[in-house]
Amino acid sequence: MRDSLRMALTLLIIGALCGGLLSVVNGITSPLIAERAMAEFQESMGRFFPAVAKVEVEEVNGEEFYSCYDGSGKFLGVVGQVKAAGYGGDIFYDLAVNDAGDIIGIRIGSHGETPGIGDVIEKEPFQSRLIGRNFADPISAGVDVDVSTGASVSTGGMINSVRRVMNVIGENFLGMEVEKAEIDMSKVADGTYTGTATGFKPDLTVEVTVSGGKITNIEIVSHGETAGISDKAFNEMPGQIIDAQNLEVDTVSGATMTSQGIINAVFNALK
Amino acid sequence: MTTLAQEFSKGILKENPIFRLLLGMCPTLAVTATAVYGFGMGVSALFVLLCSNIVISLLKNVIPAKVRIPAYILIIATFVTIVDMSLNAFTPDLHKALGIFIPLIVVNCIILGRAEAFARKNTLGRSVIDALGMGIGFTLSLTILGIIRELFGAGSVFGFEVMGAAFQPMGILATAPGAFITLGVLLGLFNFIFKRLGIE
Repeated sequence: MRDSLRMALTLLIIGALCGGLLSVVNGITSPLIAERAMAEFQESMGRFFPAVAKVEVEEVNGEEFYSCYDGSGKFLGVVGQVKAAGYGGDIFYDLAVNDAGDIIGIRIGSHGETPGIGDVIEKEPFQSRLIGRNFADPISAGVDVDVSTGASVSTGGMINSVRRVMNVIGENFLGMEVEKAEIDMSKVADGTYTGTATGFKPDLTVEVTVSGGKITNIEIVSHGETAGISDKAFNEMPGQIIDAQNLEVDTVSGATMTSQGIINAVFNALK
Repeated sequence: MTTLAQEFSKGILKENPIFRLLLGMCPTLAVTATAVYGFGMGVSALFVLLCSNIVISLLKNVIPAKVRIPAYILIIATFVTIVDMSLNAFTPDLHKALGIFIPLIVVNCIILGRAEAFARKNTLGRSVIDALGMGIGFTLSLTILGIIRELFGAGSVFGFEVMGAAFQPMGILATAPGAFITLGVLLGLFNFIFKRLGIE
């Protein structure tokens, strides 16, 4: 009995002393940590917009966006504290876009990319591929913006994320139209519509029948797609779209371009 | 009785925690991608080891044997948390790079190992010498690993470019397999040297 009491008391005293020591150290370090985080934040806004005097925070889909204004209240641009999917988990970064929709800066925060490989995303040669691009420019990994050999997951993830964030910023802060493959069926009158888009080859034309506010039939009128390869898309895509009653459907693997072409053609018909 | 000089040098050579005892492999493999990270990890562990050895040696007659392990862990965890907070406040870049491996020093077997095997049986002075020797041995080992991996994996040492622009970095050395390969080669090399010197 005395033994267990002594054990408990010893542990209790050691625990209390440790706790006391930690609260002292925390008292010293936490203001420093908070101060540094604040300074880092101001510096990251200031490096993008040197004239920044006022910042407004707004959250969109769980990510924070900072609208920056100068002393006279003029809108300078937006900095998004956003994340991308990298090789080693999420890459947290700041993306700065000015009032004209140009990317003016990228700052990589914390990430888990491999040192010496994936951390090229922190460096100028990679970032310069994105900086200066406008909201209206195509930004597609491997097509418009090169990924880095050996680090395609890290750099590709960044590029795709930048495209996504640009859409969010453009739509929410710059009042720009984002073209989305979305149709509001309640606004489409009954009837038959034709639309054309580019699949693997140009001039893929579809005829969409709408009746009772629903897409009831999709007919492929003409196309220049490769016979055999595109068949699967032609067989499956119309049914999928009719089932879903929207264009958020999976493309058919092996015939992705044709599938996307059908989606775009239906969108063009109904928009 | 071993002399103090022997007590000190054993941690660096004869009982080097990494190359002789193979203790604390987790941070060894995880944070030695560059020399600075290895050195920072080593110094953090050195500080924790020194502090915990001092406190445990002082409290060796106070702590009941049955609850010594929880008591040691409490003490070690306290110093680790102090290191974690201090690094975050004063060297944020290093703190960011070492990340989870700072809190994990708590379960580093070198530190609990020295507390259990040495500090609780020896005087304060000897415990300090032991901690310094072991800690410096650990730091040196991690730094050597870091230098080699950074030199060949990124072409620099402590962040300074040394290999010239024409050097093609061996990316694998910067990754986890590179840590295993480098450690294995160094282990073999040190075993060879120690055999030649007649140290067992």
